[in-house]
Amino acid sequence: MSSPTAVSSSERLPPAAQAWLANHPSVRMFWTLLRREFWEYRSLWMAPLTVSALLLLSALFTHGALQIDASEPSEWLDPQIKSSIFALAQWGLTMPLYLVMLVVLSMYLVDCMYAERKDRSILFWKSLPIGDGATVASKLCVACVVVPLGTFALALVTDVLFTLVWDLRALIGHAPALLVWDTVAFLKTQALMFLGLVISILWYAPFFGCLLLASAWARRNVYLWVTLVPLLAIIVERIAFGTHHISSLIAYRSGGIWRSLHLESALAGSLTSVAQAAIVSVPALYDRVRIGPALTNIDLWLGLAFTAACAYAAVWLRRYRDDSY
Amino acid sequence: MTAVIEARGLTKSYHTTPALEDVSFTVGPGRIVGLIGPNGAGKTTALKAILGLTRFRGDLRVLGLDPRASRDELMREVSFIADVAVLPRWLRVSQALELVAGVHTRFDRARAMEFLRRTDIRLRSRVRELSKGMVTQLHLALILAIDARLLVLDEPTLGLDLLYRRQFYDTLLNDYFDKERTILVTTHQVEEVENLFTDVIFINRGRVVLDSSVEGLADRFVQVTVTPDNANRARELQPFYEHEVFGRRVMVFEGRAAADLAPLGEVRTPSIADLFVAKMEINKREAAA
Repeated sequence: MSSPTAVSSSERLPPAAQAWLANHPSVRMFWTLLRREFWEYRSLWMAPLTVSALLLLSALFTHGALQIDASEPSEWLDPQIKSSIFALAQWGLTMPLYLVMLVVLSMYLVDCMYAERKDRSILFWKSLPIGDGATVASKLCVACVVVPLGTFALALVTDVLFTLVWDLRALIGHAPALLVWDTVAFLKTQALMFLGLVISILWYAPFFGCLLLASAWARRNVYLWVTLVPLLAIIVERIAFGTHHISSLIAYRSGGIWRSLHLESALAGSLTSVAQAAIVSVPALYDRVRIGPALTNIDLWLGLAFTAACAYAAVWLRRYRDDSY
Repeated sequence: MTAVIEARGLTKSYHTTPALEDVSFTVGPGRIVGLIGPNGAGKTTALKAILGLTRFRGDLRVLGLDPRASRDELMREVSFIADVAVLPRWLRVSQALELVAGVHTRFDRARAMEFLRRTDIRLRSRVRELSKGMVTQLHLALILAIDARLLVLDEPTLGLDLLYRRQFYDTLLNDYFDKERTILVTTHQVEEVENLFTDVIFINRGRVVLDSSVEGLADRFVQVTVTPDNANRARELQPFYEHEVFGRRVMVFEGRAAADLAPLGEVRTPSIADLFVAKMEINKREAAA
């Protein structure tokens, strides 16, 4: 016989926050729903943390992979090259985390509305005073806000720690002194990566919406729906009409926004500058990036409207479809 | 007093199979109502209608609300256990408490802990690590700690062994039920819960076959174990059901005074199980004819 003691994790919140939550039941409910998603889908936080740990381990244990040609030390000491290398290192450390996040979020969205029907726990959820709208909203919020913000914060910490570890090793002569802290380059790079993340989430939201809707719709095997249906649609369209509107739409929705950002010119410019050892600072290249055209892009907003429609359909399906037992 | 559930002409079919046909009944506050019927009788459909989980035709008010339109509001005052094993398997016991406390303003965490303390359930455990009986105990601890006006239980003890079943109903009666609350239980194992109910509603083939308070049954129904030489006389009084037990004729009468029947043999009030069998048999014959 155990003697349970209630240690709730919301007790980790400061008392003032707890009291505030107690007086705002709907906020408290939504907060609980968000936490529920991280209890159920532990990969949402475990996968990025693992990648971050691996990156930091690589900072500790990289050996001689980077050999500096000592014959040209002057160029490596150039401050602009240094800030470029520092900025590129941040991109290099952050991108794996963003990629893992995209994979994890896709898997999450495919399962998030399906799991409760598969394990028949939907009737437990429906026995609680949680609206279908709140349920779907909590899942979208996890995918579009909480996990991206968390991944951004984790990437930022990883960038700082990696640089710190690397520099400490450089100090004792274990690693080449390639990474030199540069606050302006750091802030500029982080700001740009953050904007890039926001734009990616807004631009890719329709994909999220589709996955969510498929998850709410499919009676079994959601993966089959999200892969075979678009594939069949493309093939049928090609055979029946000889056109390829669907495939070009998917291709456009996969990468279209980046052209309006002029991001590739900045990145390509920075890469060539390093390759040719030209004296071009990467942070200076950021000034070429334009955020405005991306945000005023009508397709971005149409995509968001489409996402909202998918979410609404998912709410409707959860509320009215009667296949629960 | 206003009714807790007021159903008028509930009708629902799945494709072409009728599940409910013009079902009407009223459940008052402070009652424990057994919704009893064989498998496929329409019990679950009726419950789903009450809980706003399915669409139907007819008029239905639960605590004065239409479950189709005001489901979210209704769920603040109604609890239900739909099936024993529906708690999500990944959930930890501590998370379950946290969760219900976070979403339900009427949840009393200390009370749920009190229920759990009587069991072997540990807070760190996940639902998938618990036995079936323990999952039911956990679910019950969560649900009974909610101060709801209506509790709906759908075959709550299905698949549980006798020990857990007995515990389940003991807890329900001793620690939960009071005159403010209403409990609606569906079951097809009538014998077990005979003494629990204040009212019974028999349902078969989507229709209400009997709707009565348990006290009312004694006035309405008489079961007579008729001695063989009285059998023909007894049949003249039109028993609605007759069967043979150990060579003796047992007849069930509706609307006859016990005093009139006493000369025919041994008279008693039929048990709910006896009545259920009788009503279902008659219903089957009528349907066949």
